[in-house]
Amino acid sequence: MIVVTQVAIIICALALLFRGLSGRRTHIGRAWQRIGLFLLTVAMIVAVIFPDITNRMAHAVGVGRGADLLLYGLTLAFIAYVLNNYLQQQDAKDELNRLARRVALIDAFERYNLRKKK
Amino acid sequence: MAYMGKSIGKLDSTVVFIIPVYNEERVIYDVVRDVRRNFQHVVCVNDGSRDGSAAEILRAGAYLVEHPINMGQGAALQTGVEFARQLPGVAYFVTFDADGQHRLDDVTVMLKEIQSGSYDVILGSRFLGSTVGMKRSKYVVLKLAIWFSSITSGLRLTDTHNGLRVFNRHVAETMQITLPDMSHASEILEIIANKQYRYKEVPVTIEYTDYSRSKGQSIMNAVNIGFDMLLRKIVK
Repeated sequence: MIVVTQVAIIICALALLFRGLSGRRTHIGRAWQRIGLFLLTVAMIVAVIFPDITNRMAHAVGVGRGADLLLYGLTLAFIAYVLNNYLQQQDAKDELNRLARRVALIDAFERYNLRKKK
Repeated sequence: MAYMGKSIGKLDSTVVFIIPVYNEERVIYDVVRDVRRNFQHVVCVNDGSRDGSAAEILRAGAYLVEHPINMGQGAALQTGVEFARQLPGVAYFVTFDADGQHRLDDVTVMLKEIQSGSYDVILGSRFLGSTVGMKRSKYVVLKLAIWFSSITSGLRLTDTHNGLRVFNRHVAETMQITLPDMSHASEILEIIANKQYRYKEVPVTIEYTDYSRSKGQSIMNAVNIGFDMLLRKIVK
């Protein structure tokens, strides 16, 4: 029984991560990222004021303590943050590269008197 | 680098060599000059070198295309192809490494293959051919890369990370390399598979010199490449 919930938690976490990263270029995707951030903040505040609630939630899904549940959420949020940043950086570099290529080609075509077709 | 074939007087202007260059001032002049004994068109993409590569490229009589920033070998190849396909009368495109590890005799054989019209892309393979002075660690990494690339592309090849390739205009017009760094080698194979180019591997010799070894890829970079490729596959 415990194993089933643990597998379920891992699958949910990875699915969430995948959905979050895949949608990073869409408005809806970015909105969900912000909603996630907001929910995490709320969870933090709730956990401080009512420690029992996170404990009870943890027990309900078969996790030892409430602090553990929060730790899982935090770890997931951290991985998502790192990967999201990395991917955004790659996207930005792709755009910069395309721009730099245009500059390089315009410059070279001019130097060798070549006309770009199309 | 040593080319045994004799110069045939008239330069071949149907072939263009594309050479990505990054800090190669010590060797690029000789490499370009060797090619230009028989071929008219050499395009060197200077990928933001901080040394005197650009001057050496011009001195050797190659076309110089200058990246304003360093973008990586894959990006340099794509730029080179986009420039080269505007050259009138060019039918065949050769990608060639700047460090002098490829042999022009091999290019001649590959050009014969592609001129037969039966193939779109001819790939050089050092494992069908031979290598001179390859380190054991390099061998292991390359074997891993072959295994990895055959999974991602679905092509059955003996050498997946060889810089020596010959392709026709159809490929030059339709190929779009997007991965900037060394991952482009795997990406090119994926493009070959997706666009269903007709391809063939030809044995070539790679000559490792102290210079080319010093410029070679470190093993840990394979980790970077593998990570990037997989991440891009999982979340596009």
